[in-house]
Amino acid sequence: MKQAFLLGNGAMALGLLEAGCQVLTSYPGTPSSEILPETVRFAKAADLNTVIEWSVNEKVAFDNAFAAAISGKRAACCMKMVGLNVAADSFMSAAYIGNIGGLVVISCDDPGPHSSQTEQDSRFMARIAKVPVLDPASPQEARAMIKTAFEISEEFQVPVMVRPAIRICHARQNISYEQLKSNLTPAVFNREPTRWASTPKFRFLQHKALNEKHRIIAEKFNTLVPFNRHTIQPEQTFALGIVVGGVPSAVVSDLCAECNRTDIPLLKLGAPYPFPEGLASQFMDACDRVLVIEETDTVIEYMLRDRHKTWGRLTGHVPMEGELVPEKIEAILNQALVESSLPPLSDTDSTKAGFALAASLDLPVRKPTLCPGCPHRASFYAIRKAVPKAIYPSDIGCYTLGSNLGGVDTVLDMGAGITLASGFWHAFHQDGEAKPIVATMGDSTFFHSGTTGLINAVYNDARFVLVILDNGITAMTGMQPAITQGALVDGRKGNAIALETIVKGCGVDYIQVVDPYDIDHTIAEIKKAHAWALSPEGGIAVIISRHPCVIGLRDQALPEIFEVEITDECDDCGLCHLRFECPAMVRNPEKKKTEINPVLCSGCGVCLHICPKHAVQTVS
Amino acid sequence: MKTCNFVLSGLGGQGILFMTKILAQTALNKGYNILGAETHGMAQRGGSVVSHLKIGDAGSSLIRAGAGDFLISMDEAETYRYLPWVRPGGMVFANASAHKFPDDRVKPYLAEYKITAFAMEAGKTALEMGAPRSTNLAMVAFFAAFGQGPMEADALRQTVASVSPDPVKQVNLKIFDVCHEQGKNRAERSAHGIV
Repeated sequence: MKQAFLLGNGAMALGLLEAGCQVLTSYPGTPSSEILPETVRFAKAADLNTVIEWSVNEKVAFDNAFAAAISGKRAACCMKMVGLNVAADSFMSAAYIGNIGGLVVISCDDPGPHSSQTEQDSRFMARIAKVPVLDPASPQEARAMIKTAFEISEEFQVPVMVRPAIRICHARQNISYEQLKSNLTPAVFNREPTRWASTPKFRFLQHKALNEKHRIIAEKFNTLVPFNRHTIQPEQTFALGIVVGGVPSAVVSDLCAECNRTDIPLLKLGAPYPFPEGLASQFMDACDRVLVIEETDTVIEYMLRDRHKTWGRLTGHVPMEGELVPEKIEAILNQALVESSLPPLSDTDSTKAGFALAASLDLPVRKPTLCPGCPHRASFYAIRKAVPKAIYPSDIGCYTLGSNLGGVDTVLDMGAGITLASGFWHAFHQDGEAKPIVATMGDSTFFHSGTTGLINAVYNDARFVLVILDNGITAMTGMQPAITQGALVDGRKGNAIALETIVKGCGVDYIQVVDPYDIDHTIAEIKKAHAWALSPEGGIAVIISRHPCVIGLRDQALPEIFEVEITDECDDCGLCHLRFECPAMVRNPEKKKTEINPVLCSGCGVCLHICPKHAVQTVS
Repeated sequence: MKTCNFVLSGLGGQGILFMTKILAQTALNKGYNILGAETHGMAQRGGSVVSHLKIGDAGSSLIRAGAGDFLISMDEAETYRYLPWVRPGGMVFANASAHKFPDDRVKPYLAEYKITAFAMEAGKTALEMGAPRSTNLAMVAFFAAFGQGPMEADALRQTVASVSPDPVKQVNLKIFDVCHEQGKNRAERSAHGIV
């Protein structure tokens, strides 16, 4: 046994390689992003030939893993939970078709949400697709569950989901692990059209077979110790039992142990679907009431079925939204215990007083903001200057924070910067109005799901300006390499693909490339593009706003460092720190003028061009 | 076994995760199990960052509000924000001016729940010694001087030596020693009842 101190995502990387996973694919997204690079690191150290790729999006990632699995290899695919929406079509179909080699889908949930557009529960996606799901309580358990997931997937020829929540992915734990390997199973594809290309008639039969698999897997889950188990002995009865899954199961166990409460029975369902009816019935029969504490939604609560006995979200005992942090779980347990005429776990007066105190102190609100020197700041500033009264549909990435500069009006999902722009155009055009619209989208998001929307917009003659914010990297999720650079996840060289080629291929004739640091030129080009887009012979105009990320590609981003200062010309108009919103430009309330914070200033020099009073100067 | 719970807070870019690593590595070297949680929002830089570290056998990573033994904070406002996580009888260490800390509005709460709070201008000291980015180590050294928790000062110092890159190793150790000394003076005065 070896030891390492790792993120939960690193623990899962170990689990994949202990299980001999041969092919791993992913698209980055918080909280899943580190699984793939950690797998690369361990595979390199152990000299394994595992095929590992950043795919262009989650659907593409899933399909690539699926092909490996139906060729007999062990394959896995990881993503954040909203990424599974993108892969949903394949995911659901694959459950019917099934696989040969094990196929494991790791879908990472973000209750909170901390960095996502929804709080959806991936276990529900597993339920819709009829895919068995495992729900780990700790990084160590997540690692162990991956091995089990491969075994079940191979035994029953069905994909299996592992659903870690953010507190698994971003926890750090010392992990013991065994030998890492990549299985040597060769790729074999047996032509079998009634299975791999089945028509509706055969789909019906596959559905029936899938349901039969579920009946047997549910039996297996009744005794899948230690993931599924309860603490009740025969003949015992209790006023209240707690049913737990995932992260809350570890929190509840820790809390009961800390408070020496051995009188509270627990049913842990780390493998909640297909539902282990037998195990759950034993527990339900021994308890007058049960309280369900699971994250993020009501999967177990629905499946328990006895609504007269069951407390949880549907009865108002557990909040319907937000992360179940331990102090929240403590309060939920205390309330349920008291309602059951049992003593509460703990006294929480000091905590309540502490939160009331902190709330009374007017502590600074620290909203997320673009980094000092971020080229997106310059792009948004230029867009607002060039077309001030437009609708600004945008998208998902660091540049969502362009909302602070008034440059982001909508964020729906990956790719919607373009599709909402065309939708807005037609909605207004129907009323005879040529609405100014400037859409923004990052380079990685454009490859992920921008092209179909752009082709559609060109085909249907929508008119708007699309600014593609090309910073040469996938920044927000942790600086993954960009397709435009062609570097692969393991450092090997792939094939770079130019944005210009793709945009032209989508049918766009108007393409201009600008450097947003050259702010006056960028403003002029956006104005020109806007005028062309609305002209009779116009169409969709694309501006590629290209400048490297100031964090991930620092040397390229800042070839020249400008040391700047604020002169006495500053009249405290606030444009630089309120509208331009540079974190390094700070108002000094005593002097009533802006000052530069030299620790934060990146030296990009963009501010030299934005001050209406020309009060920003280079230090002579 | 009850775990020893550290809450570490500050702003993005202040090295909270590095500080966590020093404490965690030292505990690992002593043979403890560790489990921690990192929380940061969407911001790459400048947002509120908190890191939880449980030393001992735990199943869950987040520390419950009211269950932290120690709060070590790199920023005064971020100290107050995470005060509810400190248990009655727990201890607080802040990078702040000892003359102005804690805020008068906070003192009655600390007194009622017997929470002791200490401040050192770790940022200023580290800056004066030419390594403002080593403020995090300065705070670890200050904490270590109070002889609390399962890791001794020597062991923490050794971890600092082993994880610091060569160019900054000497200055880091010097900062550690200076801040440890300041902490010891503060701890002695506290032992004699001087607030």
